[in-house]
Formats: sequence, structure tokens, C-alpha cells
Amino acid sequence: MKKKKRKNRPGLSIFSILPLYLFTIVFVAFPLIYLFVLSFLTRAETWGVVNQLTLKNYLGILDPIYLNTFIESFKLAILTTGLVILVGYPYGYFMAKLNSDWRRRMMLLLMIPFWISSLMRLFGWVTMFRANGVLDKFLMMLGIIDEPLKLLYTYPAVVVGMVYALTPFMIFSVYSSAEKLDWSMVEAARDLGATRWKAFVTVTLKLTLPGLLSGVVLTFIPSMGLFYIAELLGGNKVVLVGNVIQEQLMKSHNWPFAAALSVVLMALTSFVIFLYRKITKVKDLEGLV
Amino acid sequence: MKKIMTLLLVLTLALGLFAGCESDKKSEGGTLNLFTWEGMFPQEVLDGFTADTGITISYNNFDYDETMLAKLQAAEGGDYDLVIADDYIIETVIDEGLAQKLDMSKLSNFKNINPIYQGQFYDPSDEYTVPYGAGIQTIVYDPSLVDIEIKGYADLMDPSLKDSVGIISNYRVINGLALKIMGESYNTEDISKIEAAGEILLDLAPNIRLIKDDNLQDDLVSGEISAAVMYTSQVTLAKLANPDLKIVYPEEGIGFGIMAGFIPSKAPNPDAAHAFLNYILQPEIAAQCFEWLGYYSTTEAADSLINDEFKEFLTLPENLNLDSEMIQLVSSDAEEAHSKVWTAFKAATGK
Repeated sequence: MKKKKRKNRPGLSIFSILPLYLFTIVFVAFPLIYLFVLSFLTRAETWGVVNQLTLKNYLGILDPIYLNTFIESFKLAILTTGLVILVGYPYGYFMAKLNSDWRRRMMLLLMIPFWISSLMRLFGWVTMFRANGVLDKFLMMLGIIDEPLKLLYTYPAVVVGMVYALTPFMIFSVYSSAEKLDWSMVEAARDLGATRWKAFVTVTLKLTLPGLLSGVVLTFIPSMGLFYIAELLGGNKVVLVGNVIQEQLMKSHNWPFAAALSVVLMALTSFVIFLYRKITKVKDLEGLV
Repeated sequence: MKKIMTLLLVLTLALGLFAGCESDKKSEGGTLNLFTWEGMFPQEVLDGFTADTGITISYNNFDYDETMLAKLQAAEGGDYDLVIADDYIIETVIDEGLAQKLDMSKLSNFKNINPIYQGQFYDPSDEYTVPYGAGIQTIVYDPSLVDIEIKGYADLMDPSLKDSVGIISNYRVINGLALKIMGESYNTEDISKIEAAGEILLDLAPNIRLIKDDNLQDDLVSGEISAAVMYTSQVTLAKLANPDLKIVYPEEGIGFGIMAGFIPSKAPNPDAAHAFLNYILQPEIAAQCFEWLGYYSTTEAADSLINDEFKEFLTLPENLNLDSEMIQLVSSDAEEAHSKVWTAFKAATGK
């Protein structure tokens, strides 16, 4: 059937898809293969790698110290995703209920922060949380606290940063599925005697579930790798897999170990996508983009 | 396609013309291809050198020592006339045969170097390198926020400093601090000793508020942390912002690192490189450089010329009678033990 379709479109020759293939091979497939091969090599004594196959890098990950960073990353990712749902779902849901003018305005407000680099926005949070920073001064002015709180470089600061960085993705995906929702179905449920809550759970939630789940994937996966938030707002005291990879690469010069950690991280995130597909029964990842 | 080819051809020719112009302009005194980090010299010194000798300087940056080594390897020791980099990488450079011996007859100011910084592991008989600035591991603290007198690394574990110490994210320095408390060498390759150092670090963990490499001095100046172990250039910036900060040479012993200049084996213009090294070894010029660079003066003859404002943290105190040791590369097994101990320590600081 696919073949037939292709014939119907005369412009689509091998040359027009060639760039796509080349791009994928050069920038996606090749680096992945390189990474995979690298993860089985041995580090050189001082600099670089030697061509000696080993499983040592993968066995190294089983060390409790490194396993623990995976657990920490998972914990933070789950906490972040949970909070992002709490903030993002109602936001996307109510945004879809607005009239089209207000929808556009809200969308613009959501987009504006993206005009500034995410790193710069994080420094905004640093200014906010710093000792004698904006938040401290404000609370002192209100007479709630007497001396500066030590907010920066704590776990909650990292969580705030993560939630802040990832919430827009949840809003966008919930919004896009809530927008398509046929509200007359909700009305029908209400007419048939369902309470507001019951109508929400059985109709609205069910129909916006694909959006919610793709939001979860969009939040969960990046939160495993956003090492710079833990670095900037957490003062490097929250050690995530991303931080370990970065350090093994840049400081320890242990490229093969960094590669092995990356491969395992990718395997784990692929597993999350696999679960997503199982649960939502979506065959392609269209909902994600 | 034809059009593109023509365009390329024209561009190549045009570039060739420009290249021709450039080489003409620079022919009088030649060019010095300097390869080092960004911002290693004040502009006046670079201009002064060109005015004195007629040699133009082409300043090329690298960000990490490792990048430098990779580029130098690719150029097979050519392309650059003078490289300034860190001690440990110079050891590798010399081992790989990528550096040439200095011609002492062209370095009349070589005697100005502080002998403390000579004869070190990377160049034991001082044949290849001229040191340019040293980093010394000190402890800096704000006496108005700290109740105890800090004399050494062990004092950083004092319970009164809970959640108020900042450290750089360099595990050889920080794990080394624990090794020093144990009375061991920074460069021990004995895994059990490195692991024991890790145990000591776990006791330090509750006092750690912050681990970061960039601009740690800001947090000390703003009062976010009250004591810190940081890079020398950061100590300089912190002291300039708050002169009341105290600098401590840890009683357990000091670790240090040296930046040094060497001439690559196939440098196109080694004469220019010698001329430049000799130029920056002059006491007045060196003093100007170190005040700007913010690292310890390695040119002893310049020490007395350094402004009093900077003296305390750019020159070593007289009769400093402490063990000092350079941090060197260790075996890959020891390196892995270090990074494991470090990861466990960082995780413990978050608890």
C-alpha cells in the first residue's frame, strides 16, 4: 500500500529524500554507533582511548556509588514530573477553555521566556534565591523572616528550577489535546447525571490522557539529563547521571566510561518511551512533537 | 553547479590576495605565534613587545590544556612559536617530543626566575620551560562570619562551619586536601589511601554548601559562603573585592601548580619566542603581568615591584616553612578511585 502512495507523488524521487538520509546517518546514526563502540574500549593511561575491548565500563556502573546517581536521577525526575503535572495540567486545561483571543495572549506569554537563553533564566533564579537576594529581601520586608534563608544551593532550589524549565512542555501538550476535546461530550455526561468530578475523570481526563502522557515523556526524559540545573541551583550537591557523564568526560578523561553511562541512560529513556507507547497504544511518536 | 564552482574559485583567489598582503606587512620583525589561554597578558605588555622588537604577535587561544595538546599533535609541533600551558600537560608534550630545548644564550633574564618553581617534575633540569605564574592552594575565609581561626584543612571540618564552605569542583585538589590531612602525598597511587581520604571527606560533607568552578569568589564576597578553597585567580578577585578576607597557607602543606611557556619542536620562529620569553622575564614587565594575571609571581626579581595591594596574594610569604608539592598525573586506576571517591562525597554533601 505504501508503494502505491509513493507513486502518486511524482516529485518524491530518491534525490529529494537523500538529504534526509544523509543527515540522519551523519548526525544521528554515526554518533550513536561511535558512542556505542567507545563504551566498550579501554581508556588510555593519560589521554584518549586504546583499542582494547572490555566490559569494565559497564561493570563500573554497577558500583553502588554510580548506581546511586541513577536512583537519584530517577527520584528527581519523578518528583519533577509530578509537580509539572500539578502545575501544567490545569494550566493547559483552562487555557483550552479560553476564547481564542485570550488563548493567543496566553500562548504569547508562554513563549516570551523562550526568547531568552535558558541559562540566563536560571541565573534569574540564582538572583532570586541568593542570600539577601530578591526573595529574602521581600520576606524580610513583610516581616516574615528576620535573617536570610539559605535557599540557594539546596535540593528544593533544584526542584524549582527543573519544574520551571519543564512546565511549558507539559502545558503545550495538554493544551493541544484539550483543545481538540469535544466539550459537548462533557455536557452529555453532565446531562446524564454525572457529577462535575465524575465527568472530568471519565470524559475529560480520559480524552486528554495522550496529551498528558506525552507531556510526561517530554518532562521525564530531559529531567534525567539537565545537569546544569543541579550545578547552578544545587551547587553541585545533587549528583545526577548527567553530572557524572560530564565530569567523566571533561575532568577524568574517562571517555569510555562516560560513553557507557550515556548508553545506559539512553536505554533507560528508550524504555520510558516504550512504556508510553504501550500505555497509550500510540504507534508513532507524533504526539510528542 | 557551475556557478558555485566559479564562485568558489573567485573566493579562493581573493583569499590568496589577502594572504599575500598580510605576509608582506609582517615581514620586518616577523610574527610570534603565541598559543595560550585567553587573557594571559595585559595589552600594554603585548604592545610594548611589538614596539620594542618589531615582532607582531598573533595570539591564539585554547580553552583546555587537552585541546592545546591535540592541536599541537595535529601540527606535529609546528604552527606555534610559543605555548603557555599547565605543568602536567607540558610533561606529556616533552615526552611526546613536541617541545624543543631553550637556547639559554638568548635568555639573559632566565636568572630572574624564582628557584622554588624550577626543577619540577615536568622539566627536572629546566631545559624546556620558563614558568609564568603559579597557583597555590590556600584557604580563604571571612573572619567576620567565622568564629574560629582557620589554620589548616582540618579546621574546615569544625562544626561551627556547618553548611558554609565552598570548594572548587576539582577532585585532585579536594581529595588531595583529605590526603594532606592524613599526611599523605597528593600523588599517591595507593588505592586504599585514596579511599581512606574519601572517608575523611564524608566528615567534611555536612559543612559543604557549594561546589563549583566558575566565579566561586562571588559567593564568598556576597556572604553565601564564609570559607572557601578555590583557584588562585579567584582568591585574587575575592581579595580585591573584600580586603578583609583572610588567606591561610594550610598547615598540612601546600599544593601548587605552575603555568609555563615552552617552544614547540618545529616552531616556525623560535627566535621570536625566545625574545618574548626574555621580555616577560624583565622584573618590571613581569610585575605588570602578574598583577594583571592574578597568579603568584614566578619571577623572583619582580616580587619587590609588585604593588602592596597585591603582594599578600601574589608573592609567597618569606620564611614560609611548609611542605609543598605539585599535583601530578597519577595512574588511571588511581584516577578512577579518585573520581569514585569524589562522586560519593558530592552525593553526601546533598544529604
